[in-house]
Amino acid sequence: MAKLILLVDDDLDFLEQNRGVLSSRGFRVTCACDPQEALAAIERERPDLVVSDLMMKALDSGFSLARLIKQDPRWAGTPVILVTAVASQRGFDFNPRSREDLIAMNADAFFDKPVAPEALIAKVEELLA
Amino acid sequence: MSEEPVRILVVDDELGVRAGCRKILSAEGYEVTIAEDGQAGWEAFQARRGFAVLLVDLMMPRMTGLELMKLVREVDPDVLPIIITAHATIDTAVEGTKQGAYSYIPKPFTPDELLLAIKNGLERRGLTLEARRLREERERRLLEVAAERSKSNTIIKCITDGILVINTEKLIVLRNAAAAHILPDAELVPFPLEALGCAEVRSLIEEVLDSASGPTILSREVGLGEATYMVNVSQVLEPGGAEPASGAEPASGAEPASGGEAAGAVAVFRDITALKKLETAKSMFVSMVAHEVKNPLAAAEGWLNLILSGLAHQDPQEERRMIQRSLIRIRTLRTLVTELLNLTAIETGNFTLRRSPVEVAQVAADAVEANREKSQEKKIQLSFTAGAREKALADREALLMVFSNLIDNAIKYTPEGGHVGVHVSHDGLYVKVTVRDDGIGMDPGDKDKAFDEFYRAKNDFTANVPGTGLGLSLVKRLTELHQGRVSVASSPGAGSEFSVHLPVC
Repeated sequence: MAKLILLVDDDLDFLEQNRGVLSSRGFRVTCACDPQEALAAIERERPDLVVSDLMMKALDSGFSLARLIKQDPRWAGTPVILVTAVASQRGFDFNPRSREDLIAMNADAFFDKPVAPEALIAKVEELLA
Repeated sequence: MSEEPVRILVVDDELGVRAGCRKILSAEGYEVTIAEDGQAGWEAFQARRGFAVLLVDLMMPRMTGLELMKLVREVDPDVLPIIITAHATIDTAVEGTKQGAYSYIPKPFTPDELLLAIKNGLERRGLTLEARRLREERERRLLEVAAERSKSNTIIKCITDGILVINTEKLIVLRNAAAAHILPDAELVPFPLEALGCAEVRSLIEEVLDSASGPTILSREVGLGEATYMVNVSQVLEPGGAEPASGAEPASGAEPASGGEAAGAVAVFRDITALKKLETAKSMFVSMVAHEVKNPLAAAEGWLNLILSGLAHQDPQEERRMIQRSLIRIRTLRTLVTELLNLTAIETGNFTLRRSPVEVAQVAADAVEANREKSQEKKIQLSFTAGAREKALADREALLMVFSNLIDNAIKYTPEGGHVGVHVSHDGLYVKVTVRDDGIGMDPGDKDKAFDEFYRAKNDFTANVPGTGLGLSLVKRLTELHQGRVSVASSPGAGSEFSVHLPVC
């Protein structure tokens, strides 16, 4: 069966766009509008990979979600891709510069919005390989 | 003074003595004035003051030499009287010197005796004058120093920055009122540095005091309680280090540092709390704007990317939908920029209202009509009732923006088939416009923040509603510019009611 990808974003446009991109490559896609919904979806549908927005209800909700996923032994192996429109807050730039930065933010990849379709597909396929 | 000739007044009733003295003294470069008796001498003295020496005979008609001396010295105590007398007895000499005569010359005398007496007298006078000049100068300086000291103490006391002066013994020897308020660690100055509660400040001061490598200034932001201070500690090098220590007598007794050596340190505490808050607010605002601008931009770009990548399979219908979706985001962005500019204009006072008496109900009616089409698209029933025709002193365009924004919001947050009602009424000194909907409403937390910049309630419904989060804060600012107020009553599921009160003119 095709791999299942969970998309998390409070912006419907991004959900639709990324769903379009990923399903065109044969992935199954499920969507959640906030971290709470995302956690429920993970329990229920056991996605193979999560693509989450960074700033949803609370400013760091993407980071929290990634941490909850990686700290739970059941999903610790699930790759997480974080995506954000603004990679800095109050002058503090949290763009990861190294592998260590990514590990620190519990992410396997980090993208600036919007993600070019080819780049997203390439990263998802790499992480699921 | 040295350029001008020394002036001598010779008073004697003997012509021979007068003429002799004038001849001898003039030859030595003295300027000589003569008088034939005490009275004439007094007149000559008064006619032109500034004599250095008074050569005076004792026994003269009309006024004696002693009487003249007394009068002269009352007016000018610097005049040096020398008595020339034939009655060279001990008694007269004693009496003469009691009256202030410097010396006396018994008649007859040789020119050398006269010149020597005068030379000695002038020397003595010069010394006296110099000593007095020095004394006066010292007194003046002391006065100045005292005035300066009390002046600087007053200034230091009044400075709103906190000031601590620490000597090399690590004793805090001066603390102004502001510093006592910031660091209320000890009752009395001086007190040891260790008594200072804040370890950060303590170590900063110690670092400066202990630094051996010349003058040092260290600056650090330190949080003390609720406040943030910029603390500047500078090393004081002057040997006159006693000056800052002036506030505390016991400590200033410590041996002053020799030239170039550290005399202590001065710590200045500047309250930058307000600045920090402003800085935080500013950077938060910039971050918010960046996020709010980039998000719709990225969404629009994402749709266009999708079309270009051919993922829509060249389906014209699908492509059209994507273009429409990006247009919505771009329009939101344009509105955001306009609203931002308006908000900034209001904040900087550059938003000029063109106010004239305006019938508020008429403007509200126009705003309703402007939103008619939008409501019909959503099958929302938009009604308008006016129970008041009062005028307010208002900028028509600004009012239209206020009402339009509220009606637009009401339509946005009301599901299809709902109702939005606009009502104008009279309320005391105000004309009141209410915009009521039976939409999704707000929970109390969202309600409190509704007028904050960039605040948008986030829930399943609002996720589908495009908005900038600036509309309501613009409504609030514009209403307040009209001396009006805006309020909201709302609860989840029960709709919202926004009321604008404007003073009737």
